[in-house]
Amino acid sequence: MKALFLGNVAVDTYEGIRGELPPSLECAIINDPVDRSLLPAAAIDADILVSNRWLADFPPAPNFRLVQSVATGIELFDMASLPKGCAVCNAFGHETAIAEYVVMAMLALHHRFFQISGEFRERGLWASSWVQSGAPHGEVRGSTLGIVGYGRVGREVARRAAPFGCRVLAANRSPRDKDGDVERIYPLAALDEMLKLCDTVAICTALGPETTGLIDARRLGLMKPGAFLINIARGQVIDEDALYAALSEGRLGGAAIDVWWQYPTPTEPNRRGSRHPFHALPNVIVTPHNSGWTAGMVRRRWDEIADNIGRFCRGDSLINLVTTA
Amino acid sequence: MKVSFVGNFGARPEVAKAILGKVTEKIEPTILYDIGDTQRLIPALAEAEIVVSHIWKSDFPEAPRLKFLQSPAAGLDLIDVPSLRPGVTICNVDGHEQAIAEYVLMTMLALSHKLIDIATAFREKGSWLGGGAGGGPLHGEILDKTVGIVGYGKIGREVAKRAAAFGCTVIAANRSPIADKGEASEIYPLGELDRMLPRCDFVVIAAGLGPETRNLIDAGRLALMKPTALLINIGRAPITDEAALFAALRDNKIGGAALDVWWRYPTPAEPLNRPSQFPFHELPNVLMTPHCSSATVEARDRRLSGVARNIDRFVRGEPLRNVVLTT
Repeated sequence: MKALFLGNVAVDTYEGIRGELPPSLECAIINDPVDRSLLPAAAIDADILVSNRWLADFPPAPNFRLVQSVATGIELFDMASLPKGCAVCNAFGHETAIAEYVVMAMLALHHRFFQISGEFRERGLWASSWVQSGAPHGEVRGSTLGIVGYGRVGREVARRAAPFGCRVLAANRSPRDKDGDVERIYPLAALDEMLKLCDTVAICTALGPETTGLIDARRLGLMKPGAFLINIARGQVIDEDALYAALSEGRLGGAAIDVWWQYPTPTEPNRRGSRHPFHALPNVIVTPHNSGWTAGMVRRRWDEIADNIGRFCRGDSLINLVTTA
Repeated sequence: MKVSFVGNFGARPEVAKAILGKVTEKIEPTILYDIGDTQRLIPALAEAEIVVSHIWKSDFPEAPRLKFLQSPAAGLDLIDVPSLRPGVTICNVDGHEQAIAEYVLMTMLALSHKLIDIATAFREKGSWLGGGAGGGPLHGEILDKTVGIVGYGKIGREVAKRAAAFGCTVIAANRSPIADKGEASEIYPLGELDRMLPRCDFVVIAAGLGPETRNLIDAGRLALMKPTALLINIGRAPITDEAALFAALRDNKIGGAALDVWWRYPTPAEPLNRPSQFPFHELPNVLMTPHCSSATVEARDRRLSGVARNIDRFVRGEPLRNVVLTT
């Protein structure tokens, strides 16, 4: 049995799980940038591919039977170039880290944490304290949180938010069983109804035809004045121009944005995430797509990948099967 | 019944006015902001049966009719109990514990996720290095971490409830024995704090300030903490040793801190007074806020409502709530 680990994330994964792999497994390790002279020989007889991509112009790989993505998204795998019947599996482990980010961002927005701590550190300003009579800030207790996309991440968010005394609502494309942490799950078609009720809206959905541009100017207009928006999903779920307008005109209370409409390139490593200066708005927390980027996420993901390779080698049923080529 | 609102908290206009707006029984209020104004303090205390104040100094004039001292704050560290006449019931307020627990979880998360550093670098320089797209270093999370709460009262329990939902192990240390452990898996007597501290990824100071807790977290106890441990103080600053804490943070003997309570406060002459004789604000591993963890709209309302309801109860001769002690 042969496995090909391709790309820098896969190489890191190999280093992290080599002790857990079956001793009989032969491994070929090819780092980025892809060395095309090594790839044909490695691909031709590999049974397993561990990578974040397999592109249309890659060499023949007739023996692939397991393609294990090192990420959750599999959009960089060209299904037509994979042998028919090959299993394509992804990896998770990020949902708890992202759920922590969502609750952290919700707290920081309600408590005006960046403003208050920044003014205190830089200028010694006490205006928000009990000792002076500054404007009090908000709390999340008693507020309503709406989770758009009630999947793995959304459920983890709900579990953590409920003990704060939040009312938790959710909207999901496909019907979901209600659990103890959420008061009501709306179909995605009834999203408008939910948005009107929320003090915080957290976007936790996958990007697809139904969710591209889902949060547009009209839906932003349905949200309560002063409500907060948190996006950890994909930038394109939200209309870029409409969100900038709603935030810069103060119709929304603020936002925490971790996912963007544009990303850095080798020639422009510090490229801004949007054509609008979201980073210049005082009521917006901006982070560089890192909500899931924790040491714990990597370890959990490695464990899932090692587990799946072991299952494949033993002939057991696979976990995290997304599709079959 | 005569009620005096005294000092720069109880007699602060928006505090006294809000309380008076919620009191339903008939009272005769006196409001005196400046306790240095002895000419007015003498009559204010001479007549009052109820005083609303967070402060009582040993040189305060006689208060021969005083029966009920209601603090608008939770901590009684500014009330000099021995100088009160016998038979005075002292009450504090609650309703802030939920807001403070939110602050504790927020700062636990922000320290672990390096939120301020990453968001600031991204905002100011467009740096993607905190994230996957930039190939930057991984940050932390609070799942499976151990939270040690020093002082397991109302605030501590609210912290425990929320931290448990994040998959944290919660342990606590408390002066008096605890019958109902709540979400905590283990409660240490305060005398065995040294056994708890080495286990903690987070140490949350949620105790009141008193003889047993003053300087409780000194250089020796800071040295017992993990080098990665994160300290959060929402209790009172003097529970930690100012010089020792600054040194431990500056020299990275502990991982970092979130501090909301301070050794120095602003004065009318120095409204921007720095909160410590040491420059905590220059340390990159410190999150700092100006004693505002409880300063939410909702907590303020819960606390002031609590004061008003207690005044009504006293006037009607009903039992008081949040009684701390009777002299």
